[in-house]
Amino acid sequence: MDKSESIIYLKDVMKEFKILNRHEGLKGSFRDMFSRDYKTIKAVNQVSLEIAPGEIVGYLGPNGAGKSTTIKMMTGVLEPTSGEIYVNGKVPYKNREANAQNIGVVFGQRSQLWWALPLVESFKILKDIYRISDKDYKDMLELYGSMIDMSALYSKPVRQMSLGQRTLSDILAAFLHNPAVVFLDEPTIGLDVSMKAKIRNLISSLNQEKNTTVILTTHDMGDVDALCKRIIIIDKGTMLYDNHIENLRSFFGAYRTLKLNLNKRHEEVTEKVQTENLKKVRELLTEKFAQATFTYDTDEEWVSILIDESQVPLMKVLSFLQEQLKIYDVRLEEISTESVIKKIYENNENSEK
Amino acid sequence: MNRTLKQFRRFNPRAYLSLMRSAVMENMQFRMSVLVMLFGNMVYLVVIYNLWKAIYASVDTPVVNGMTFSDTMIYLVLASAQFAFMEAYLVWEMGRGVQDGSIIVQLIKPMSYGTYQLFYILGGNLFYFIVTFIPTFVIVEIITGWVIPVGVNLLYYLISVIFGMMINFAVDYFVGTICLYTQSIWGINIMKQILVTFLSGATVPLAFFPEILYRIVMFLPFHAIYNTPLTLLIHNDLPVAQVGHMLFTQFVWVLVVFVLAKVFWKVSERVITVNGG
Repeated sequence: MDKSESIIYLKDVMKEFKILNRHEGLKGSFRDMFSRDYKTIKAVNQVSLEIAPGEIVGYLGPNGAGKSTTIKMMTGVLEPTSGEIYVNGKVPYKNREANAQNIGVVFGQRSQLWWALPLVESFKILKDIYRISDKDYKDMLELYGSMIDMSALYSKPVRQMSLGQRTLSDILAAFLHNPAVVFLDEPTIGLDVSMKAKIRNLISSLNQEKNTTVILTTHDMGDVDALCKRIIIIDKGTMLYDNHIENLRSFFGAYRTLKLNLNKRHEEVTEKVQTENLKKVRELLTEKFAQATFTYDTDEEWVSILIDESQVPLMKVLSFLQEQLKIYDVRLEEISTESVIKKIYENNENSEK
Repeated sequence: MNRTLKQFRRFNPRAYLSLMRSAVMENMQFRMSVLVMLFGNMVYLVVIYNLWKAIYASVDTPVVNGMTFSDTMIYLVLASAQFAFMEAYLVWEMGRGVQDGSIIVQLIKPMSYGTYQLFYILGGNLFYFIVTFIPTFVIVEIITGWVIPVGVNLLYYLISVIFGMMINFAVDYFVGTICLYTQSIWGINIMKQILVTFLSGATVPLAFFPEILYRIVMFLPFHAIYNTPLTLLIHNDLPVAQVGHMLFTQFVWVLVVFVLAKVFWKVSERVITVNGG
């Protein structure tokens, strides 16, 4: 892929911010007023990526990783310190207004709708601002109507909406002018389970229907599992991972979780019993598989053991434990995306030290 | 590609009207705030009535600086009504937008920030012109027995007040841009409000200014915001040449302040794009 084929193209993008070194206390604040003592931080460092039209890409990272900064650069609001950015073949910060015509943005924590007006009025204003033709506008509303129940939203003032309705409306507003790229910045933040599902469905259908490229930042792995085939992970401004989501699981070894229930059925499981069980399992395994490392945890009546199968096969552990202990129930779990990403963040954290 | 940048043209009058319309509609949602504003204005008027009554009582002549007590009151009442519809708190809005980052909502629109705010604010001005200025004008007329003539002066006023609104907007836009650097809103906003209302003749008629200050003020754009429209409204005996001269001066000021504000914003935009929102 080169930059003419990809809808978003970033090469060695770097963004530095100058930040005033603040001092403590009243005296410090006073000193800050005249201080020229700046330090430079790299919010985004040597990020390169290419995104093809129609992709949904999960852009992940812990708080303060540089996700929003990258998105602001792609929307043209921020200018990169160095590196190249092309969105739709144009440099966003040089053509901010033209670029805006071809992108849609949703900030989960900030509405861009007209607060006091019914949703339909916001749509009409956006129709004029983005010069949407009457036909396209009508077709889009029909499409929306086929995806969700619009009647509840249409004439409701935005300020009276629930957070879920408002987010839904904001997403519809961002797709209204049929942009080539939509940026969704934490769209499911603070929403209940059913509303999250509704929003994921909506995003997925809009992406399929209009072949819109979607860049999604989120902390909810449910969003990632439901929507993204590809994920990009960034932390402290540096890219840690950019690949298919399925490759992610093998990225940090083949982890699987073995869960054991060591208690008789209907027996009350106290914390003390569980601690006892955990200790027993830990002792047995440490003695038998001294070369391998396990991560232990308890979860209600279960004792769970995270096993790296490149060190020792899970079946071997299970058959060994079965000889030693009375096991009433067993469960095997694939490691969740969430746990893998947590591990990636933590590894990055440790490598810094 | 059909959704290309080629469709993009800068001039978009439908969007401008749409923004004005939205501002009118939004303001109509808040009926209470109109009432509160009218009440606040009444309190202000009671204060200035008594203040100027005392001033006129302390001198022997009924005419001070060429203005009678009732001339002064009519001028100040209309000035406060004009302030009520013109003040759009753009400095406040811009400062807050920079502080909490909400300015990004406008920056991702395919329209310049200034144009967006201009039409949104003109919409609000229009709404308050109808609900505050017109009733105040009618009440003044009834109380004074139609002292202000109803004729071509109204037309002059309308043209002049539109120029006035634009200068007021550009001054706000300029001062608001300072907030991109200072991140302090309150002080700048208050300072701007006091300076503009004083230097424009909204708090004290310019006729009361000492000679030197008056001359300085006439070299500044602010008098074109309040003094020029109000003079054109109240005095019907002005020669057409003078009216033309006043409107022309105002128009030149519109251009000058707009260019200054626009250039300052363009330069300062980099503060956001370089240092983050």
